[in-house]
This record gives sequence, structure tokens and C-alpha cells, in this order.
Amino acid sequence: MILDLHAHSIKSDDGRAKVSNYVQWIKTRGLPIDGFVLTEHRQFDFESDYSDMARESGLVILKGSEVETEYGHVLVFGVTESLTQSLDFTNIRLALKDVLKAADDHGAIAIPCHPGRPRVGMAAHIETYGIPAGVGIVETFNGGSRENEDEIAQVMASAQGYRGIGGSDAHIVSHIGRCATRFEDSIRNETELVISLRSGRFEAITYRNAAA
Amino acid sequence: MNIQVLSDVNFGEELPVFDPDTGIENVRRFCKAANWMGPRFTDHEAAKKEGLPGALVPGIMSQGFLAAMIHRWAPTGNIKHIDTVFRAPVIVDEHYHIKGVVTDIDEDSGQVEIDLTVVNDAGETRVFGTATVVLLQSA
Repeated sequence: MILDLHAHSIKSDDGRAKVSNYVQWIKTRGLPIDGFVLTEHRQFDFESDYSDMARESGLVILKGSEVETEYGHVLVFGVTESLTQSLDFTNIRLALKDVLKAADDHGAIAIPCHPGRPRVGMAAHIETYGIPAGVGIVETFNGGSRENEDEIAQVMASAQGYRGIGGSDAHIVSHIGRCATRFEDSIRNETELVISLRSGRFEAITYRNAAA
Repeated sequence: MNIQVLSDVNFGEELPVFDPDTGIENVRRFCKAANWMGPRFTDHEAAKKEGLPGALVPGIMSQGFLAAMIHRWAPTGNIKHIDTVFRAPVIVDEHYHIKGVVTDIDEDSGQVEIDLTVVNDAGETRVFGTATVVLLQSA
């Protein structure tokens, strides 16, 4: 199963895509992905229910979040109400260790994204803060990466023994599915996503060259 | 093909790619005409002294390129809205390709939504955004 683990909708301040148009784009373009995860900035979208859209389209549509820490941005999968009560998702200065611990405590998982990106990626902050404890996975293919950002992420992942995921980081409709993650397991919901990520049975993939 | 009415448009349709003239002389002419002067737009060395990688194509010029591309595709279309997110600077004298693709069609209002991107030769998206264009529903 292939999921794009990093996408934003109009729920994010800089997102310009309606979820229904992501679905229409994936189906009409015949993209080779089975679904995507909406990771809205600094929030978890409790109110939206995409289950009808998912059922009708045959796609998996899940929800996560992208929060901000001193090491840059971090994707959180398996978000629950109790997790959002213990961690202020709107805080742009969260401590990565707190995000990792809170995620772990509440059955979720936290994964630094676009770690090779200046300012908002983990690699840019290692010289200042050191190698963070508790990170096991980073995003090694990001659809919005420029220059050598993905290479920096991959080199870091290799050096630290991190596993890699892929996500498009789509903010507009036509960018969905540029990068994704191939799972050995079938995933139907956020709980199964967290289990699969913890299992390590996945790999990051990119379709950027095909899209270009 | 020029688009005249809404029924001419298909979901996923790509607008003809537009390669704008971002040469220094063209940018200087634009800045003069728009009274949008500043060395960071018209002088590479001055821009570098400000910590920039080179002179910048003004954002309003990039938006003008986007509007021009849309009107070439749909000359009678009414651009209601262009919304851009500048993720990386657009540098004077570098080559860019402006792309557009239709990502939503509202038959009731006659509006189409277009994804817009400014991409460099390496395929990196420097600017992305959307435009809302109102088209005639019948000729």
C-alpha cells in the first residue's frame, strides 16, 4: 500500500487545496497511490470527516498534524484528543523531546519532516542542539524539497540509522502524490498507520522525476 | 487553443507553459514603469550586499506574469483572485517556467480554479498558488 504521508488542505494557513480536489486529481490522473494523510499546520482537524469521500473514492484519507519545534517541523500521526490536550499544537516553540514523548505516551508517533531544509529542518539545528534522542524515522523524500535538501536528509538518516518516509508536502492540488511511502501492510486508519510506522515495514518513494 | 467558455475547460487541463523574460533589462523596465524601484531588484551586487542570492524579480512582476499566462489561455476570462505563496526567491537572469493546471470547475458559478507554479530549470517550485477565473457559461 502506498500513502502520501504529508499533505495540506485549505485548513492550513498556506494550504490552497480542497480535499475533494485531491481525490479528483488522484483518480483522474491515475496516480499510483492508495491514499494520503492530511497533516495540517499547528493543529489537528477534529471537525472534518472524510470517511464518505474515502469510501466513495476507494482512497484512504487519514489525518495527522505538522507541529513546530526547535529542531524544525515534525509530523505527528495517530493524534488523539488526549494528545492535543497534553501538547499545545499551536505553540511554534515546542521542544522536540516533549513532542516525541507525548506522541509515545498517547499511542502516536512523531517524525521530523523535510529535515534537510534550512531553518525548518532538523539537520539545520543539530550543530546548535546536538543529535536529538528518540528520533527513529525522518522524512527523506519531500515533494517540496529544493536543491540538495532530500540528499541532506538521506545522508543524515543513513548516518543516524533512521528509517525514511516520503510525502508530497502538497499545498496545491496538483502536487499531491509527488512523494509517498510504500508499506508492506494494509492500512485503513490512523492506528494501523502508527503500528506500521513502528514496525519499520515501509520505504520512502518519489515520483518527482515522473511528475516533472 | 484559446478558452472562450466554461464548457471548453476540462479538469486537469494544463495551460500552455509560459517562460517569462526575467532578464535584468526587462526587470528594470518593469520597476521603472511600476515605480517599484530598489537596488535589490535591479542590481545583483547590491542585492548580494543585502544577503540575497541575487537581484529579485519583484513579486508584483511575477504576479503579472501569472495573470498574463491566464489571459493568453482565456482572453475573456475574468481573473477574480490570484493567491501566491513565495517559497523561494525568483532571481533575475535565471530561467523559469510558469505552469498552470485546472483543478476545480464550478459549473454553477462559472468559476475555475487553477494551480499555478513558478518552476526553475531544476524542477524546483519557487512560487505556488492558485487563481480563480470566471468564464462565460455560454457563447
